[in-house]
Amino acid sequence: MTLRISNLRKDFSNVRAVDGVSFEVTPGEILGLLGPNGAGKTTTIRIILNILQADAGEVTYDGRPFSEEIRNTVGYLPEERGLYRKYRLLETIVYFAELRGMAAGAAVTEALRWLERFSLLEYKNSRLEELSKGNQQKVQVIISIIHDPQLIVLDEPFTGLDPVNQILLKDVLLELRRNKKAIIFSTHQMEQAEKLSDTICLINKGRVILSGSLRDVKRQHGRNTVRLEFTGDASFLHTLAGVRKALVYQNTAELDLSDGATPQQVLAQVLSRVELRRFELVEPSLQSIFLEAVGARVEETPPPPLTVAAGSEKAP
Amino acid sequence: MKKILAVAKWEYLQKLRSKAFLVSLFLMPVIIVAFGVLPTIFATTEDKDTKVIGVIDQTGVVARPLASRMESLYRLSNGQPNYLVHIIAGSSDMDFQQAIASATDQVVRNEMEGYCIIRDNIMSDSVVEYRSRNVGDFRLLTRLEGSLRNVLQERRLIQRGLDSRLLSELRVPMDLRTIKIGKSGETEEAGFATVWFTAYIFLMMLLFMVQTSGQLLVRSFIEEKSNRIVEVLVSSCSPTNLMAGKVLGLSALGLTQLGFWGLIGIAVSAQYGLHGIAPEQAALQFVYFILGYLLYAALFIAAGSPLTTEQEAQQVTSYLVLILIIPLVIALPAMQNPNAAWIKVLTFIPLLTAPMMAVRIPIQIPSATELVLTIALMLASIYAAMWVAGRVFRVAILATGKRLSIGEMLRLVRAD
Repeated sequence: MTLRISNLRKDFSNVRAVDGVSFEVTPGEILGLLGPNGAGKTTTIRIILNILQADAGEVTYDGRPFSEEIRNTVGYLPEERGLYRKYRLLETIVYFAELRGMAAGAAVTEALRWLERFSLLEYKNSRLEELSKGNQQKVQVIISIIHDPQLIVLDEPFTGLDPVNQILLKDVLLELRRNKKAIIFSTHQMEQAEKLSDTICLINKGRVILSGSLRDVKRQHGRNTVRLEFTGDASFLHTLAGVRKALVYQNTAELDLSDGATPQQVLAQVLSRVELRRFELVEPSLQSIFLEAVGARVEETPPPPLTVAAGSEKAP
Repeated sequence: MKKILAVAKWEYLQKLRSKAFLVSLFLMPVIIVAFGVLPTIFATTEDKDTKVIGVIDQTGVVARPLASRMESLYRLSNGQPNYLVHIIAGSSDMDFQQAIASATDQVVRNEMEGYCIIRDNIMSDSVVEYRSRNVGDFRLLTRLEGSLRNVLQERRLIQRGLDSRLLSELRVPMDLRTIKIGKSGETEEAGFATVWFTAYIFLMMLLFMVQTSGQLLVRSFIEEKSNRIVEVLVSSCSPTNLMAGKVLGLSALGLTQLGFWGLIGIAVSAQYGLHGIAPEQAALQFVYFILGYLLYAALFIAAGSPLTTEQEAQQVTSYLVLILIIPLVIALPAMQNPNAAWIKVLTFIPLLTAPMMAVRIPIQIPSATELVLTIALMLASIYAAMWVAGRVFRVAILATGKRLSIGEMLRLVRAD
């Protein structure tokens, strides 16, 4: 399914939660919906799922407006997790599958298949409250994909999962992409977005401030970025000459160099002050792009047009 | 439609298995028996031991016939007399005070149940005092009063020169039987107790059903809202279908409850050879039950979907159920005069129609006009209430955090 949203606007009593958001997801594409807390990601998602009505703008599904049939072809994992605590796993999954239009028999077969895939088969008759948080979340993921939806919307699907299950979920999503599903997922975790997204859409304060294919976005921001690995106190990096912006972690750092500054100059200065293990020229991480975009947005008014060709060509 | 049924099936099966439902299913018959039958049983239970009643008789002529009457007339199940009358001499003033003191003493020491004081002027003013630690023994008091009246009457008649043998011939034992005349003139034996009990049972059933299912409904809203399950629900099926499914499932639950209680009722009445209620009565009760139930379901949806906490839910459900208590309170006057205008007026208030009819139908089936009008009014109210509930539900079910104010809700209802 191709989902296209254009110029979406939604006001809550005195806040404009979504302000002219547009993007498109096509079959076999994963869109990462990024943005800080309160940016309007969840509101956008709720409008896509017809839980909320937009005040202005348009959402089309394969070119058509929302209809009751659409409900059976979308899957949704809400951000705030929750299921009927007292009810049993298999029954609950089958109920939600039936609500999406599946026949009871087929729902049971599919539910068992997915429970096995997510190593939850042994709990099929347990009450949901007996499961760990992570396992409950896996159940919700199953509920969002069991009915073979053509459009899958996952709000923060990775938070709360351990690394093993994050990999499992990532594999499932990539498999769904191979099967030509259109997938939207929102996240704060830039690493996940970087690993999974074909396109990204960065929202802040209800507006799209960066969107396009991941490759385009990176190329656009790919000035002089240097990544270091070191031992020692590297706090001086923030004020180093030739460094426009520094993200310094315990043993690694990412430096965005000023125009005109060369990596060589920086290397020379750094070598004498820490024990350097690695020094490389890289594409900027999504994390740094995110921080820069959001930071600039916060500091400057009126905001500069940072958008990288909204609606730009997707990566082939 | 498929989705409505899916919701209905889910709501029905999950709630059927919930503890709250099972408790109410079994508790209700127990409570009915406890409140309706046990007091009657206790009140009619025979004494086990002979009770000693003292009599201080200033006239000297009342005590002896009273004693012989009380002792011979009432017997315990083992054949022993139920009462022993202990005559305490007290003709002079001095003796009188002493007699009272010693009688009181005996009552305090539990040697005597109580004592009567019959004064000199008894024949003119007919005042007798009975002193006891327990003045609530209804049966003893009735018997004592009856016996005293009898003895005094006899005394007076003899004073006027009637032969005592003639008197006993003339005395008529009285047994008043009440026969209820049905619509088409057929008669059935139905005492006050039967009618009262039938009305009471129907009211209690309605009360319990509304209370249980209302609470289950509101609680499920709150869980779905606080867990945000509702987001998945509302993205899977339209709020209208969701609400319709819930109402349908809940009604099925109510019918199950009603059917179960009905079976118990039939079993119990068969056991004790009681009259079942007439089929037309049962059918009417059933119609008003369903209508009343649906109306309250709509109210619970409208009032319950904006709630966010268990405490609020408790309050709202109790307030709504409180409305149903009103007919319980006015059931007695309604029985004395089922045709009173104010009773009819109350019946036409939609929220009270079902419970008022529950009381009125066992007493006297209201006129056809009244039945048709109330049913039509109920249907209209249900339609209106469901419409409003649907509007509130659609928006309120998604709202979290801040509770909607009444004003906001009204706006929701008006807005398209």
